[in-house]
Amino acid sequence: MADFHNLQELRHSASLANKVFIQRDYTDGTICKFQTKFPSELDSRIERTLFEDTVKTLNNYYAEAEKIGGQSYLEGCLACLTVYLIFLCIETRYEKVLKKISRYIQEQNEKIYAPRGLLITDPIERGMRVIEISVYEDRGSSGSSSGSSTTSSSGR
Amino acid sequence: MRRSSAYIPVSTAAALLVTSSTLFFVFTCPWLAEHVSLVFPPCVGIVFLFVMANFTMATFMDAGVFPRANEDEDKDDDFRAPLYKNVEVRGVQVRMKWCASCHFYRPPRCSHCSVCDHCVEDFDHHCPWVNNCIGRRNYRFFFLFLLSLSLHMVGVFSGGLLYVLDHLENLWELHATVTLVVMSVSGLFFIPVLGLACFHLVLVARGRTTNEQVTGKFQGGVNPFTRGCCHNVQFVLFSPIMPRYTGKLSDRLPIRIQPPFHQPESHKLTPVKSADNCVSSQTLPVKSLEEVDDPDSEGLTSPPPLPPKPDPVLLKNHLAALEESLLQSRAVMPLGHKMNPLLTSESPTKVLYQVPRDQIGPRISPLVPQEHASDPSLLQSENHAALQSGAPPVNSLTLNSRSLSLKHSNRRGAETLGPHPIQSVLSSRTGSLSYDSLLRSAEGVQRVGYQTPFLPMDMSLSRGPGAHNCSPVFMNISRHSPQHREPSPVRYDSLPKPIMSSIQERREPDEKDKPPLALGPDAGIYDTPNRHSLPHDFRGPSSRGPTPPAYGSREFLLSSAAYGYGSRSHLSSSSSSSLTRAPRTASSPLHFNRSLSPSIYHSLERQSQLPPSTFPSALPTSSYGPQKALAFIRGEERPQPEL
Repeated sequence: MADFHNLQELRHSASLANKVFIQRDYTDGTICKFQTKFPSELDSRIERTLFEDTVKTLNNYYAEAEKIGGQSYLEGCLACLTVYLIFLCIETRYEKVLKKISRYIQEQNEKIYAPRGLLITDPIERGMRVIEISVYEDRGSSGSSSGSSTTSSSGR
Repeated sequence: MRRSSAYIPVSTAAALLVTSSTLFFVFTCPWLAEHVSLVFPPCVGIVFLFVMANFTMATFMDAGVFPRANEDEDKDDDFRAPLYKNVEVRGVQVRMKWCASCHFYRPPRCSHCSVCDHCVEDFDHHCPWVNNCIGRRNYRFFFLFLLSLSLHMVGVFSGGLLYVLDHLENLWELHATVTLVVMSVSGLFFIPVLGLACFHLVLVARGRTTNEQVTGKFQGGVNPFTRGCCHNVQFVLFSPIMPRYTGKLSDRLPIRIQPPFHQPESHKLTPVKSADNCVSSQTLPVKSLEEVDDPDSEGLTSPPPLPPKPDPVLLKNHLAALEESLLQSRAVMPLGHKMNPLLTSESPTKVLYQVPRDQIGPRISPLVPQEHASDPSLLQSENHAALQSGAPPVNSLTLNSRSLSLKHSNRRGAETLGPHPIQSVLSSRTGSLSYDSLLRSAEGVQRVGYQTPFLPMDMSLSRGPGAHNCSPVFMNISRHSPQHREPSPVRYDSLPKPIMSSIQERREPDEKDKPPLALGPDAGIYDTPNRHSLPHDFRGPSSRGPTPPAYGSREFLLSSAAYGYGSRSHLSSSSSSSLTRAPRTASSPLHFNRSLSPSIYHSLERQSQLPPSTFPSALPTSSYGPQKALAFIRGEERPQPEL
């Protein structure tokens, strides 16, 4: 019996319970910005401040990517002069920032979200319409009560 | 896969462009270089190169196509979710329409291209000459293509003209003939191309898309997407080009998700407590309620341990919805002062008739199937309302705390009342709306009077007889079951528990609406809860100044629909944003507002005809039926062409 219980504990696994979608914030126009409102489904999974930090950082990244300034002028003029062949050669600033965002999300997932049973999907995969947060539940520890908190909290 | 005929315009355009220009360079340019200027042909050549580059980019560049949404993003039943969702963009309400093909609400300025069958960001139009949608990513190329083509045509035409004027005596010679042909082609297409270029110049300056211009979206109103003429031009030409959405996914390391999972600190301390603030403040009322009902429970004085959550999802959703509604209802609190004069009225039954209508909605809408779960939150909200309105908060607390305990006894004490209250209610159109409020409020008041633990209410309650008031009121409720509109006597149904509890819980917000309306316990138990469960903002679609976007939102409907009442009311009285997505054509919010009242009553009538048995389940599924009926009604009544 004890061995069997140990086996169960060894076989912890997570299954996808729910997905939370953080929508875009259009109050400032069509610039890319996500709502920082804390969704109630994540109440029991992650601290509010961590979540808001993540979304605010992402918003800052997108604002930086879409900034119309010196570099975007340079890119535009260069593209015209080279008859847009420049796009084959170099990476635009937007692409660079998107890569930064991707790395940031990866790092956030590894450090903060995955330990809490959450996973952020890069918005670019959803057409920048939503930030998709997958909520996982602890499926494997049904026999023991220690996993009950995660099970119940994600039991939606 | 597009039809092959779709390639005809683009092939024709490309062929014409390349052929004409090549002929010009071959036959006309040598003479021009020699006799006009050496610089002239290279300039034309550069412009031509620019034209071709922009043409190629406009043709082959992804316009900003949104990938289709995954199925799990669309959680709601299609039939239940609204067709439109409102968002506020720089102070202007913009409608986001549900895209049935792509399964998401189209972001502002996004539109679905029927030729390409996808949604495009900042959709301008579908251009047959480049056989591509023109959207956010390639609009600048299309715009520059038009400008540069106009310039190229001017150059070709003027160069050809110079040549022809110099070779007038020998026009049938090959070079001259070719030049004439090229001139005529360029002259023929110059007017439409220049016209289109000027049109787009104006659009760029005004910050509009072709789609918006043609559909007249901002004709009378203000365009929230404009940044001023200079910044609009700057945005079109120099904003960074973002990569396509539908490209290949970047390589990512897989992330391992391994339980056990961390819990937030707050959650670890009180494992059963949700982070929602409402819960902690409502634990006491929960406890008190339970003790009223269950004599075996612990003493009220001890700090109540949180009860085991029978349904944490619903409770949390309910609480979240209540939080939202509370925030909204607080804005309406000034009307709560009307409650005070009510307490001085003669009969207890009349007291609550005049409860401001706007206090109803938020608190009513999230009607939780679980009585215990709903009571604390409603108590909380009612307390807030009462506090802010100046009425003794104890009243609502009293009413609610007693509601559960008394509902059974009241139900059993049925006696018939005279029909006159019914008729007085029926006489007024809006009477039905106040029926429930009157009903519920009267009920609650009666109940308080029945056991008078709290002094503030004794004043009004003392005027009324004690026990027997309850039963008539109660009977009024049962009598005004679904057929409230009909003067014929209503059947006496003994209402199931959830309805009764919901009736009592909802009593207070009741209506500022038609205070003098006589008591009519309402048949609209089924109707009026819905009507009154609206947040106050729903109430006046014509009065929406800064309309919050959430009302028509799917999330709002989802949370309230889970409790079986709110969704119906939302459908009945909210604006077009609450129109269901599926087969309905949606009218604009303004149109809908004007026709709102008839639809409300129509829907209420339909709802009133529902059998009581469908009501108490209070499951989302049970609310779909009436919603579907409502949607169907609306669709039939106001067919309008889709924009």
